Amino acid sequence: MAFLELKQVSKGFGPASKRYEVLSDINLTIAENEFVAIIGFSGSGKSTLMSLLAGLEKPDAGEVLLRGKPITGPGPELGIMFQNYSLLPWLSVAQNIEIAVKQVFATMAKSERSDYIQHYIDLVSLTGSEWKKPSELSGGMRQRLSLARTLAMKPEVLLLDEPLSALDALTRAVLQDELVRIWEEDRRTVVMITNDVDEAALMADRIVPLTPGPRATLGEDFAVSLLRPRDRATLNFNDDFKRLRNGVAKRMLSLNEESRLVKGTTVRPLPAIDPIDLDRRVVASTVA
Amino acid sequence: MTSSSESAPLISATSTEASAVPAASVRPKPTRAGFPIRLKHGLLRIIDLSALGFLEPIVRLCYGEEPRVQLRKIGQFVVIPVLAFAAFVGVWAILAPKHKTKSGEVPTPAVVYEAYQAIMTFHERENAKEDAYVTSGGARETLLADAKARLVVLAEDEAAAAEALAAARAAEAAAKAKAIAPLQQRLDALKAETDAAEQEREARLDAQAAAVSDAASRKAYLADLAAFRTWKDAERDRQRAVKDDIDAINRAVAPTTQEAITAQTAIAEERQYVGKLEELLGDKGRELKVAELKTRISELDTAYLSATGRDLYKTANSLLITQGRLDSLESSTYAKPSTLPYQIQRSVLCVFIGFLFGSLIAIPLGILCGLSKTFMAAMTPFIALFKPVSPIVWLPIALIVIGGFIPDPDSHWLMRWLADLPLIGVFKINPAFLASAVTVALCSLWATMVNTALGVASVDKDHINVARVLRLGFWQRLFKIVLPSALPLVFAGLRISLGVGWMVLIAAELLAGSEGIGKFVWDQFSNGASDSFAKMMVVVFVVGVIGLILDRIMIIFQRMVSFEGSVAAM
Repeated sequence: MAFLELKQVSKGFGPASKRYEVLSDINLTIAENEFVAIIGFSGSGKSTLMSLLAGLEKPDAGEVLLRGKPITGPGPELGIMFQNYSLLPWLSVAQNIEIAVKQVFATMAKSERSDYIQHYIDLVSLTGSEWKKPSELSGGMRQRLSLARTLAMKPEVLLLDEPLSALDALTRAVLQDELVRIWEEDRRTVVMITNDVDEAALMADRIVPLTPGPRATLGEDFAVSLLRPRDRATLNFNDDFKRLRNGVAKRMLSLNEESRLVKGTTVRPLPAIDPIDLDRRVVASTVA
Repeated sequence: MTSSSESAPLISATSTEASAVPAASVRPKPTRAGFPIRLKHGLLRIIDLSALGFLEPIVRLCYGEEPRVQLRKIGQFVVIPVLAFAAFVGVWAILAPKHKTKSGEVPTPAVVYEAYQAIMTFHERENAKEDAYVTSGGARETLLADAKARLVVLAEDEAAAAEALAAARAAEAAAKAKAIAPLQQRLDALKAETDAAEQEREARLDAQAAAVSDAASRKAYLADLAAFRTWKDAERDRQRAVKDDIDAINRAVAPTTQEAITAQTAIAEERQYVGKLEELLGDKGRELKVAELKTRISELDTAYLSATGRDLYKTANSLLITQGRLDSLESSTYAKPSTLPYQIQRSVLCVFIGFLFGSLIAIPLGILCGLSKTFMAAMTPFIALFKPVSPIVWLPIALIVIGGFIPDPDSHWLMRWLADLPLIGVFKINPAFLASAVTVALCSLWATMVNTALGVASVDKDHINVARVLRLGFWQRLFKIVLPSALPLVFAGLRISLGVGWMVLIAAELLAGSEGIGKFVWDQFSNGASDSFAKMMVVVFVVGVIGLILDRIMIIFQRMVSFEGSVAAM
């Protein structure tokens, strides 16, 4: 039995007259402790797919199953790490993790809890920043905090929604290695959405392409047979890696070509996703 | 840096040892000015928290950081506002004497400052009288002797001041007479001239009237008569102009006389005060009155011990009555009239109580509005309808409603309880006070309610997703996610409310007659004393300063709850 499964899932937005079908007939089977990477273009419904997996939204058709039972809603066992971190800005690093731990492990004693939180802070290399607020952290540190909070909930599935796309390339490389290290220490099922083929090939066991929207589906997946641990430096000279990477890249670009040919020059409506920046919020005028 | 004890230590060992100097022994290097860096950071953080941004370049300058930039900033944020205010005061001082009202001139800044000093002197004197009433023993004797001595001195001063005033008046009269004399001469000359000319022209006109024959001559006569009348009016106007000049000189009060009058008034006031003080330290003071009553009681006691029959009743009655009077006298105090500092405290208490009432209603309602769109839709007509209502309309309603609850203030349990409270009891809360507080609440709660609703409704969707993933219950979500996220906007609303409430309070107090700044203004306005105008302008500045302080306090609270990315991080 598959651990996590999507069966003929479809999802659309908007009123019946102007329906926009984001995902159509998605089928995905994930085994336990498998690291799956989903690659897609921007606007192809990646975040919608993640929300469906996390239980934050319900599919219009089809089922999302965890261990054979349908997912009814979000919960700590579906540990989603949001693209814009979703950290609570009025709480410090330790308090952000604490709120998750208190909720999931309500019966944990206070001293045990503080040790537990400290363990996860050390795990993501944030030692020394326990009392800083998220606004005082860099992008990479915020990402680590988000990861620590998600891991502290001990989820069954780790859902990473473009975790590293907001970072610079150097920090990205560091965090990719950290993610793989943490995953290897403490294996669990991971579904990661990314737009970087190299990243997917470096980290995942399986790469699944998502066709461009609307009505995106999952294409045929690529198995990654490279042995772990994978070294970024030497991987570039590995023929298997090069073949894999080229194959995936060609497939993604061909999908884009196909979709362009199919639709011609029709106007493509953009999905209603606003890029959210933690440093700015829409200022509502204070009404006197 | 290498230790020289061992002969040939490993280079790597010593270098690591040298580099492993513990951080605690390395002190932060003093800056050019010589103060530690930590003090500077602490000061800058306090300045940032209290929103006193103009102090920042001064602190930085003291540490020698970028002197040119800091000097320019000081010029921009400190010197220019001070100069602007000085310019305002200057323009005021120049323009004020030019406008004369029936209550006197518009007061200049100097006069306003003197009025302020007069208010404070009055306050101190009343406090002294209050203390004098209850002073006893040796202290009382000393103060009494001092007062008597001062009275003697003041008597002499008063005589001298009266002489000075008389001299000033005489000098003024002489100067005026000298100024008026030529004008009077001119007036008399004019009058004589006019009278003579008038007689001549009248005679001519009579002759003309007698010689009137045909229509042409009649018309000529009419024209001449009209010309005569206009000429008479013109002459009268000329005379009146000169008369007005004379009157102006008569009316004007010479500065020397004014000073003499002010000096005499001051001495008279002080004499009156010291006289009252002497009374309160002597026969009208509590100690002596109590002593007197005690002797009376002992007399009555002895009389009672030997009384019989009808006398028994009378002496017993007198004894009990006198005993009762003694009891109330021993705890009595001087009936001090309200002075401005007391009124200020009472006003501030009233605005806080009203603000508290309003916030206790507005914040829960605002939270409910923010959480539920249905509730918000239900509340919208009320908010839209009652928000623009002026406090002057709410106040009579509040007075009537509260009067209905508290028909007899002296025997109402709430009033009694409030009067017995430790710190607040001294302010004698009455229904007028409560009505003012209710008016403040009604007018200031709308800003808080609307801002709270906005804050609660606009919680970031990401935070709500976190709550969903963690499966937080309704109350946990409310207190852990919604309220902390909404807190900056709530405090922004509270700040606006307090500002509005302070403005509303003065108007409410003026109308309700609740003892406070509003009542002070009303008293000055209806008294119409010579310095009332100046005292009202003192109140303008007092109200402004207190409003400023209240606003600052709210800014500090607002900054304390703001986090990065919150709307009201000002």
